Amino acid sequence: MTSTTLTHRHIASRTAVALLGGYVFTWGLIALGVALLYSAGMEFHDAEHLSYIVGLLAFLLAFLVAFAARGLRRVALVLVGGGALMAAAASWVQGLIIAAGA
Amino acid sequence: MFANFRHTMAWLHTWFGLALGLVLMVVFFFGSLSVFDREIDRWAIPDTRYEPQPMPSFDKMLAPIFKDMQPDAAARAMTAPLADGPLPERFDTPRSWGAYTTHRDPVLLLFAGYEVPHAKDHETAIWANRTVDPRTGEALPVDRLKVGSEFFYPLHYSLTLDWKNIGYWIVGFSALMMLMALVTGVIMHRKFFRELFTFRPHKSTQRSMLDLHNLTGVVALPFHFFFAFTGLVIFAYIYFPVMHTQLTPLHDRHEQLEAKETGLPHDRAGVAAPLASVDAMVAEAQRRWAAKGMAGDVGYLNIQHVGDANSYVSVYRAGTDRVQLAGEGIHFKASTGELLREDPPPTVVARINEFLTGLHLQHFKHWLLRWLYVLGGLSGCACIATGLFFFVEKRKRHHAKQGVSGARIVDALAVTVVTGMLVATLSMLIANRLLPDVMPAGWPLRGAMEKTIFWGSWLVAGAHAYLRTAAVAAGRLAPAWREQCLAVAALAVAAPLMNWITTGDHLLRTIGSGYWPVAGADLFMLAGAALAVLAARKLQQRAERPLAVKNVALEAKHA
Repeated sequence: MTSTTLTHRHIASRTAVALLGGYVFTWGLIALGVALLYSAGMEFHDAEHLSYIVGLLAFLLAFLVAFAARGLRRVALVLVGGGALMAAAASWVQGLIIAAGA
Repeated sequence: MFANFRHTMAWLHTWFGLALGLVLMVVFFFGSLSVFDREIDRWAIPDTRYEPQPMPSFDKMLAPIFKDMQPDAAARAMTAPLADGPLPERFDTPRSWGAYTTHRDPVLLLFAGYEVPHAKDHETAIWANRTVDPRTGEALPVDRLKVGSEFFYPLHYSLTLDWKNIGYWIVGFSALMMLMALVTGVIMHRKFFRELFTFRPHKSTQRSMLDLHNLTGVVALPFHFFFAFTGLVIFAYIYFPVMHTQLTPLHDRHEQLEAKETGLPHDRAGVAAPLASVDAMVAEAQRRWAAKGMAGDVGYLNIQHVGDANSYVSVYRAGTDRVQLAGEGIHFKASTGELLREDPPPTVVARINEFLTGLHLQHFKHWLLRWLYVLGGLSGCACIATGLFFFVEKRKRHHAKQGVSGARIVDALAVTVVTGMLVATLSMLIANRLLPDVMPAGWPLRGAMEKTIFWGSWLVAGAHAYLRTAAVAAGRLAPAWREQCLAVAALAVAAPLMNWITTGDHLLRTIGSGYWPVAGADLFMLAGAALAVLAARKLQQRAERPLAVKNVALEAKHA
């Protein structure tokens, strides 16, 4: 399991994308999951639990993909960008729900 | 990361497994002990060695105790920074009173939360806890540490590192890495099923360690995956506090709607009101459960907004006969005893969630399943430990030739977390039996001393592990393993012996009277001692046996 091409920088950047990228992606997924499921009429805590269950499995997958994928930049873009987009969408949906209820 | 997918998976498995395996070892071991945390409490606090009791009368026994409860110095110190200005001498506005017991608890845990005047966040509460004998209402001395439920159990999920919840995060990350190691472990084995049924105990140490690693990992794979995953789900709200940050407006809206829908007031009315008979409400709740065909005991009793016109009493049924936790809540208006609400049956998602978390937290009454949990947890320990051994065995001769100390350091760490952890645990239990009943003035409280001895003896075991693994740097087996196995054996015999001497509860008596909490703890330690002696003997034989040339050649091919 040793490789001559493996540098510390290589490992650090993969690990950073796997952990931070995975975290941001999972956060976005959970936030959007709760907002959408709740707006679709699901009980709040049910939406919360279901999103956590799905989100944590997604984190595991994101972590593995960040190491397995060939191009690191694309993975970073999808995880961080996708996570941020989903989080923004969650805030937008939340705004709509609050505005409709007020 | 590498050109070859399987190669990448193997790299992840090795290096993240190594880094977090040390933490996972602690998590799995204390998780296994936590299955019997209440029983370990009985072993450590002999005054509480009596049968589990039902919830006592609130009106007669608990109400006066609750009125007497005030936060201790530790709670005050924790809360002081959360308020503007000094904290009051006494806290007068109880936000809630709660009483909790289980089918394995002879003692009853009471907790009272108070409003904090001038708190920066109006939701802040300060808590007072007390453990009482439900037969008399007498309080357990505050210096008594419930070693099982208040120390081993928190070690399992937070390593007792409470600063900024850092322990939870370390354990959470380790759990994620456990899931990763399980997935990558399966992927990296080409001949998965053939390897599953292979165990060659008489081959080289390296071979048999790898076989055992695969065996314990694969046979209990669903167990390991399930527990690592549900552990993450249970504390997901800490790892991803989405509902209390980004989605706070949505969360608050839900709470207000829920309060309106359920008729259970979210806030105080600000008007004082008396408390009607809670015993009558408990009797009514039990009558309603029985009418539904699910008669049961009270597991949890809660009074919200105590002393206010909006106060209500919630009675929850103990979940001893199913996987889900306490439930079937029935709520009454505190001032009149009028029924406010009966919790509806759980939804499908709630059922799934309760099933997942409930299986992990196991509040149910099923002793065989409890023992299977212990075996599953210990097989996790065996899997992690053999993984560490394999790492060392595979590299030590190579490292010896190169003159690097990597294998030795990993071996020293492995000794520290495998046998060193057992030394620490047993030392703590022995200290629990030998420390004076009340510590002399100027010393820490008894429970704090027990914790100090736990960490101190672990540190000593770690130092010994480092000093006695020098042989690994020369490509040989470290004597630290055998020596610590012998220490574990001696301590695991000493602890039951000390229990006998200090309490008179020897095995003949506890088994004879069927008192399994203490008999089980003693037997478990004695069985551990026997295993430790066996391991020490095997290690001695290995150390004396010259490594066959054929084995070296074989290992070179596998490396």
